[in-house]
Amino acid sequence: MNELFLNNYVIVYLFSETVLFLMALYAFFKDIVILKYWDFESFSARQLKLEKQGYLLSTIATFIFALKFILLIYFVYMIDSLSIIIPGAMCGAGVISANSYGMPLLFIKLTTIFTFLLFLTLNNLDLKAKNYPLLKLKSWVLLAALLLIFLESFFDLSYLFNIDLSVPVSCCSALFGNLEGANPLPFGLNIKNLLILYYTLYIASVLAILLENRFLTAFTLILFAIISYYAVVYFFGTYIYQLPTHKCPFCMMQKEYYYVGYLVWGSLFIGLFFGLIWVIIGFLKYKNKTAKQIAIASISLFVVLCSSYVLFYYLKNGVFL
Amino acid sequence: MVIIENLNKFYEIDGQKQYILNGINLSVQKGECVILKGVSGSGKTTLLSIIAGLDKPSSGKVIIDGEAVSKLPDMHLSKFRAKKIGIVFQNFNLLEGVNLLDNTMVPLIADKIGLKEAKDKALNALKLANIEHKANKIPSELSGGEKQRGAIARALVANPNLILCDEPTANLDRENSLKFISALKKLHSMGKTLIIATHDPIFEELDFKHKVVEISQGKIGFAVDA
Repeated sequence: MNELFLNNYVIVYLFSETVLFLMALYAFFKDIVILKYWDFESFSARQLKLEKQGYLLSTIATFIFALKFILLIYFVYMIDSLSIIIPGAMCGAGVISANSYGMPLLFIKLTTIFTFLLFLTLNNLDLKAKNYPLLKLKSWVLLAALLLIFLESFFDLSYLFNIDLSVPVSCCSALFGNLEGANPLPFGLNIKNLLILYYTLYIASVLAILLENRFLTAFTLILFAIISYYAVVYFFGTYIYQLPTHKCPFCMMQKEYYYVGYLVWGSLFIGLFFGLIWVIIGFLKYKNKTAKQIAIASISLFVVLCSSYVLFYYLKNGVFL
Repeated sequence: MVIIENLNKFYEIDGQKQYILNGINLSVQKGECVILKGVSGSGKTTLLSIIAGLDKPSSGKVIIDGEAVSKLPDMHLSKFRAKKIGIVFQNFNLLEGVNLLDNTMVPLIADKIGLKEAKDKALNALKLANIEHKANKIPSELSGGEKQRGAIARALVANPNLILCDEPTANLDRENSLKFISALKKLHSMGKTLIIATHDPIFEELDFKHKVVEISQGKIGFAVDA
């Protein structure tokens, strides 16, 4: 136990996560019962009870999703705030890399939110029909989402318990700076090719969605998200910070940068999630125009937002960084 | 029209099942008028609520026009109820502070029709219930009998085939009860199916009833075809 656990942000975070964990535990057992005994043709007491419990589970899932979404933002804000008590950390980048649980935890959090969003979409489609055609599938998805919550709880505790306040961590410049001889970009790309790939994948993703090619959409969107991460950290971010050596995915979420990082990463992940949900429900022969529109709008907002920083910097200063 | 098979409603108290309805079987054909008779607490209102989809059974089937009401997801149930079922409650359940015309239009919200069409339908229903002259009055300005006729208009406005009445004359004097019964007769002549839960003996005199069903302690005691 260290002084980290006396921090207000951490106490609130762990309390909220505990409440969600307990709700998830209850939902988990109820969901297993539904998966085991569901028989829509039956009018038995057990079946009618399961139908009622199905509503309870979707209400719990909606609540968990809403709170998880808020808690994700809160988590990012929290780790950024913890940088003042962790030696060597200047922002969330240093805190999240304080041990090997940090980055996987962030990835699990995003996956959990995506899985709950998928459940809620399936649930919505299921309740539009009269005979719960997606009941089994959505229950399996919910089970996966609940398991992710348990996994996330394990990583939450492992991460926070294993932050050693006596050991300095690496942060922004050391971690993301230009390391001599090492190219941090994927596939051996340089910045120019990274940007070409970034814009090409954006156009390809939008076209794939518009042409309703679901395999291509999934492929381009996932690749676009990966490339976007590097593009933001190694190129667009430097224009947000107006400093060519400042390569960090977290600092842009601070007040000094008007919290723009939340909008940057939020628009990317919302676009990715809704795009993938559109792909998945399309394979189930359902159409969801809203998911498609949100996906296009979000990734377009992301691209415009990132590009505008470069454009405005150039218009203001007459040079690129 | 309405088929009820092996319907049960119970609550578990200290591990013991307390039955409100126990093994109800009932069939009501289109255009029939059925009286559910029984003392207070016999389960009439619960049965009516389950038929209306306002409550869920613990087990058993309720099928209306081929649709298993007890298994419909909520969003379908609301639409189904708005289109197929009209309900007249003992306490009228009119919205205070809203005039009778607007009260009558409430069930049409689910239909998403235009305001003018909704108004025309509501005025027609008020006319059928013989209360159109009070269309602009709020419930507190109406007598018990007028409120009940307003409730009939609201039950009729979406032109449902099934009308459920729960102790409709409990708060009316004999004169207003007779007026209410003449309104019911009009509905019956229009081919509506009527299910009336009551313990008012006045309904035993109805000349258009098809069946009287006695409910006692959650069970059907007897059913007499009139």
